Amino acid sequence: MIDTILVVAATLVAAPLLGGLISGLDRIATARLQSRVGPPVVQPFHDVIKLLNKEPVAVNVWQVFCAYAYLSASMIAVVLFALGSDLLLVLFTQAVGAVFLVVGALSSTSPYSLVGAHRELLQTLSYEPLLVLVAVGIYLQTGSFKIADTRAWGAPLLLKLPFLYAALGLVLTIKLRKSPFDLSTSHHGHQEIVKGLLTDYSGPFLAFVEIGHWFDVILLLWLCSLFWATSWTGMILLVAVTYALEVVTDNVTARMNWRWMLGYAWAMGLTLSVVNLIWLHVR
Amino acid sequence: MEHAVSNLVGTPVLLSILIVFPFLAALTVYPVRSARLQTLVVTLTGAVLIAASLLLIPRTPFTLSPKSLLGVDIHVVVETADFLLLFVFLHIGFKHNHTLIKILSVLQIVSLAYLDVRTMSGEHLRVAALYGDNLSLILVLVASIVGSIVCFQSIPYMKAHEEHLEVEKSTRRRFFCVLLLFLGAMNGVVLSNDMGFFHFFFEVTTLCCFLLIRHDGTPAAVANGLRALWMNSLGGFCLLLGMISVFTRLHALDLGRLIELSSKSGIYLVSVALLCFGAFIKSAQFPFQGWLLGAMIAPTPVSALLHSSTMVKIGVYLVLRLAPGMRGAFLSECIAVFGAFGFLAGAALAVGQSNGKKVLAYSTISNLGLILACAGLNTPEAFTAAIFLIMFHSVVKALLFLCVGTIEQRIESRDIEDMRGLCAKMPVTALITVSGVIMMIMPPFGLLLGKWMAIEATAKNLAVVVMVAAGSALTVVYWARWAGTLMSEPFAGRFFPERQPFLTWGALGSLVAGGGVMTVAAPWLYREFFTGILSPGYSPPYVVHGGGLENGWGAFPVLPLAVVAAIGFAVSIVALRRASRVRIVKPYLSGLQTDTPGMFLGPGNRPVKAEASNYYLSSIFGEKRLATLVNLAALVFLILILGAAL
Repeated sequence: MIDTILVVAATLVAAPLLGGLISGLDRIATARLQSRVGPPVVQPFHDVIKLLNKEPVAVNVWQVFCAYAYLSASMIAVVLFALGSDLLLVLFTQAVGAVFLVVGALSSTSPYSLVGAHRELLQTLSYEPLLVLVAVGIYLQTGSFKIADTRAWGAPLLLKLPFLYAALGLVLTIKLRKSPFDLSTSHHGHQEIVKGLLTDYSGPFLAFVEIGHWFDVILLLWLCSLFWATSWTGMILLVAVTYALEVVTDNVTARMNWRWMLGYAWAMGLTLSVVNLIWLHVR
Repeated sequence: MEHAVSNLVGTPVLLSILIVFPFLAALTVYPVRSARLQTLVVTLTGAVLIAASLLLIPRTPFTLSPKSLLGVDIHVVVETADFLLLFVFLHIGFKHNHTLIKILSVLQIVSLAYLDVRTMSGEHLRVAALYGDNLSLILVLVASIVGSIVCFQSIPYMKAHEEHLEVEKSTRRRFFCVLLLFLGAMNGVVLSNDMGFFHFFFEVTTLCCFLLIRHDGTPAAVANGLRALWMNSLGGFCLLLGMISVFTRLHALDLGRLIELSSKSGIYLVSVALLCFGAFIKSAQFPFQGWLLGAMIAPTPVSALLHSSTMVKIGVYLVLRLAPGMRGAFLSECIAVFGAFGFLAGAALAVGQSNGKKVLAYSTISNLGLILACAGLNTPEAFTAAIFLIMFHSVVKALLFLCVGTIEQRIESRDIEDMRGLCAKMPVTALITVSGVIMMIMPPFGLLLGKWMAIEATAKNLAVVVMVAAGSALTVVYWARWAGTLMSEPFAGRFFPERQPFLTWGALGSLVAGGGVMTVAAPWLYREFFTGILSPGYSPPYVVHGGGLENGWGAFPVLPLAVVAAIGFAVSIVALRRASRVRIVKPYLSGLQTDTPGMFLGPGNRPVKAEASNYYLSSIFGEKRLATLVNLAALVFLILILGAAL
């Protein structure tokens, strides 16, 4: 019982700190790739603190509800992950957050918000099947959906599930809102639909969405790390290399439209996953 | 079996209340013109059915062979009634000059007569007429409780419906008569062990379905009713062919014995496959979805009762019932793939719809497909998932249909686009609808519990799990879009609950509360109903541990998750209440706002209305684009299933 409480508390403190830090490092790396100096590494925290201290304003009280629900769901998902619970359940809980974020954006009557919300739904549609299949692949290899069992698995999963890991990379690009998949909203407030999904979230509520996003990023990176769960070095190295690839992809590709995203994610991602799953079956 | 029968005091009485009493109530209500008396009969029947179904809980499993009804051999009564029914179908065929109905009725009459001659001539083994285990019990509970709640709501609904249509002569008495008749037939179907009884009740539900769809009497309603009639007659004909084949093998039309026999021989699998074909049609699986989509023209309580929570469940019930008999056969695996395909295709077509009732119809087809997939997988885990899905889908989908009906009567549209900002006009109904949507797609609610079980149970079947994963993602899209649209509005200031008749609030409230309570109680429901005899050959695959369900490779902590989710919900609600005091601003429109909501100053300082509508992606998921492809693919699967049986 005490252990559980400690794990929950540690996760709730560490996840946003780590998430913010990764976001800061991401900004610096991106800036260097673009021959800029970039902000200090703690800039994301400054941003969020500033937002939290702004006057709360809303277009619709339901949007406030949705911002809180999004943050809660994302937190619950990461805590479930930390407790070694069922991977499929963690993914479903994380999807709850995604749905509330969309419903919150739809509750505004701004067309920018609405288009952003629909693009976000299409992003969810693109990556959700792949995430489920990653869980299925892990189950076929380790015989369990429980994250605790996956952590205890004796050999690196990456060697058996390389294509599924590639599919997971695709999911990560979409979830991190990186180019070419930064359709629903992007880090820059000047795309064709302004800030899209996040247009009408503001002040402290936008801060909650940002913190929720950090939790989501931590969840996915943690999932990536499961593919080399046998050593700490392996875990950190795998996640670092993966994230570096994401940053590079972000900077060398241009934003595409949703048709391309859906087609690419399903054709490429599902093929990769199915090939890997067949391989597991045949073995 | 002897001891089971002996300690069942009162079970025959309960069963006659559940099956025969609604028939009598239907006859009582038919001549009644007074609205008050109609209300009385319907509410009383509903209350009696609810009580009787609850009293039946501790009595499973049981078998029962009533000898006579009012002094006449009950088998003779049922067979005669079955013939009469088929002649009524033939009459309908002639009245509307519908060739297919005529042909199918004649084919059914001939095959039923052939079957009768054979049962009479050969040494006819006596068959227990009725059999009930926990699987039948769950369906009886659904039909009696959810069914009665829907009947209650239909009282105020039909009053408003007739006022709106400005009918001169009320036909409500006929409507209630058929509704009550249906409840009795539904209980009859799931409790029948003698397949002759099964076919009779099956056909009664078909007749009720036809009468209720054509209730408004418009040309479109009649045409759609006839389509439902011919398709379901085809289903009835498949059943009869299956029964003939079963009789050839068993010399008895005994459903229980058929399953116990479980063999991989050709003729056995062909009988099972034919029965399953009848089931697929009843559950409106592709390519027979046409009748269910057409049925949406009926008054909404009909869709809530027949076309989502009960009648369409007969199909999946039959396949679940037959599943143990085909365990290990390739046929079973084919049914799993066919079901998963239905899940995926139904979800894809639902994404392409903006008509609320059609979204619900496709979503029903989709969920029934998932249940079939579970039945076909034929493992204890999949079987458990299927039963959870049946239970929760019945409650939540009935709720959503009733919500759409209530909304439609107010805004006179069933289009999702017209429901934009509904939370300003009908806040309580909008919130209940959103709760229904949440119960469809979010943990810890029952449907997601079922889906979680289904995915974990299908994980080893590659084709099935890929389709289920994709279908599941599509499902989220159409539900989230709908929920968001309901909440979309310029801020209205305060919350003014709308007025509705007591029975409407009662029905909506009890269903939404029922869905919530059942979710929290799911582990215990599982322990009470699923352990012991669920169906021959299945042992309970999960253990109840710490308020959750767990097996060797997965865990779903229902209660802990519900508590955490409730805390998250409470915090968000507190935030919402505090937010009602914050400054409310206008949405961003990329221009100077005017005083009218949704208008901004455009070029030349002229006011422009900002307009946007949802994505329905009809270029990808539209009916025009997908329906033909889906039907062809489904046909290929059906041929595959028949091939697997042969």
